Amino acid sequence: MTRIACFVEKYNFSYSEEAGALQNFKRAAESMGHEFNFMFRNGLSEIPKYDAVFIRATTDPLYTAYVVSKTAWELGLKVVDDPESIRVCANKVHQYRLFEKYDVPRIPTLFLNKEEFHHRTIEEIFELFGKPIVLKAPYTSFSKYVEKVACETSFRDVAKRFFRRSDFIVVQKFMPSRFDWRVGVLNNQVLYVCKYMMPKGKWKHGVKRRGKPSFIWGRTVSLKRDNAPQRLKEVALKACSVVGKGLYGVDIKEVNGDYVVVEVNDNPSIYSGYEDYRNKDIYEKIIKYLTE
Amino acid sequence: MSGALCVLVVSNIDLKTNVAVTKPSAFLKSSVRDCILNVNNDYRYMKLGYYVSLHAEILGNKVVPTTENAVDAYRLPILLVRASKNNVPTMPYIVTDSVKQIMAEFKFPIVVFAVNPFSFEGYYVAKNRSALYRVVKSLSMNYRYAVCAQPLNGEMVSCKSFFGRSNIEDASIGEIAEKVYKTFNIPICKLHIQYVDGKAHLCSLQPLEMEEISPSDLNEISKTVSRFSEKGGFD
Ligand SMILES: Nc1ncnc2c1ncn2[C@@H]1O[C@H](COP(=O)(O)OP(=O)(O)OP(=O)(O)O)[C@@H](O)[C@H]1O
Repeated sequence: MTRIACFVEKYNFSYSEEAGALQNFKRAAESMGHEFNFMFRNGLSEIPKYDAVFIRATTDPLYTAYVVSKTAWELGLKVVDDPESIRVCANKVHQYRLFEKYDVPRIPTLFLNKEEFHHRTIEEIFELFGKPIVLKAPYTSFSKYVEKVACETSFRDVAKRFFRRSDFIVVQKFMPSRFDWRVGVLNNQVLYVCKYMMPKGKWKHGVKRRGKPSFIWGRTVSLKRDNAPQRLKEVALKACSVVGKGLYGVDIKEVNGDYVVVEVNDNPSIYSGYEDYRNKDIYEKIIKYLTE
Repeated sequence: MSGALCVLVVSNIDLKTNVAVTKPSAFLKSSVRDCILNVNNDYRYMKLGYYVSLHAEILGNKVVPTTENAVDAYRLPILLVRASKNNVPTMPYIVTDSVKQIMAEFKFPIVVFAVNPFSFEGYYVAKNRSALYRVVKSLSMNYRYAVCAQPLNGEMVSCKSFFGRSNIEDASIGEIAEKVYKTFNIPICKLHIQYVDGKAHLCSLQPLEMEEISPSDLNEISKTVSRFSEKGGFD
């Protein structure tokens, strides 16, 4: 029997689909003979009592989730998301630099240093990528700090905001698509495949803020993993291989029949009736991985 | 990093040394293959000092400090877990955003540290319940982050540490500075320590602000950097 702590925050229960998925994890674990308890941020001193930690709260090196992950890691527990994956995935500069190094198919990307943020640089970027371009704060999640700019003034406005917390930001060619492929990967294997559709008239999958009632969120179309394009799955696995061996959600755009990686997320959303719709075994597979 | 043959020093501080020192922004544009000694007053996540270490790592270079250590040393609960694993005396602590939980665990006075990484603020001592509420609310940025509380059983002392050497002459403090450096390799930092019955305990580690580096500190840092370079590596 493995004792699993599932680290969550209150907002993980705000949507019934997410709360449902958490119950599915618990049921799967218990039916496999394991213990599965939810652990909140005031329960960190309990970590040593467990054998494995499964993090469902939003991860970032600056959040409690990282403290949980690293503490569990130091104590020799099995942990998803592991601290290294959190560090790489939470920072877009970090992950794109790795994609560059290992030649993962990706959206054309540049990195902008706060100290080299001049008129000339902006002009050169527009020349290279055309207009508009996409600016991202390295720490963005839920599309919160991803913005499109088409002139120097808005470039400066957005960049200035993103530079407040990070001395580097990400600049990308704008590559719109009707949907993002989302490939769930666990331990170098494809776990599930979906399409995250863009809401009508939008270029981002969602302005989805957990815990806030106000968001627009595109539809999720689930596919059987065996029916998804082979090349798509290869690209997803390649992207994850430069990050680690844990649980990831890879966002991929299909452009002229080619696949380019938008990003690898650790801690991918799993909502009941969405990601699991055509791949019901994902709960068991993740629990099995945690208890191996 | 023993056995390293050469060292490139990257620093945002004007070091007084004959050794060639590269500025962070110049280094970030280069693709040098070398061991990197990243000397910075601030290695906070997503600040320039952090990106210097990241750049070195992406290039496949050995670097002091690593990005992993930079993140961990500034995240208080992780600092304490890893330090105590390496035999550094630490204080009992609790990570929470609940004042009730803190009071159930410790008697007043209580020292509270921010676990939120945005502030340079050190710590606050709360002597009673209402003070504790105030301090927790502020350090947690209105309960957005947890805080780390420790009992105050003795006296708080702060020291600056340069490559594991404390600026305070005290054997017990010196030992902590040295061990913390061995564990995390943070060249420049401030340590908060609690003296209880003649024995020092590690409480927290923080970046130094540039203004806190005095001329004699600068000499100390410069001397150590020169020595590293002469030896062509780290011990
Ligand atoms: N360069 C780009 N061109 C066009 N669309 C983009 C580009 N980069 C990102 N997007 C879209 O914007 C949305 C958010 O982007 P991204 O995944 O990089 O940020 P995020 O904040 O980590 O978002 P999430 O957590 O929702 O995945 C996605 O729907 C993505 O397809």
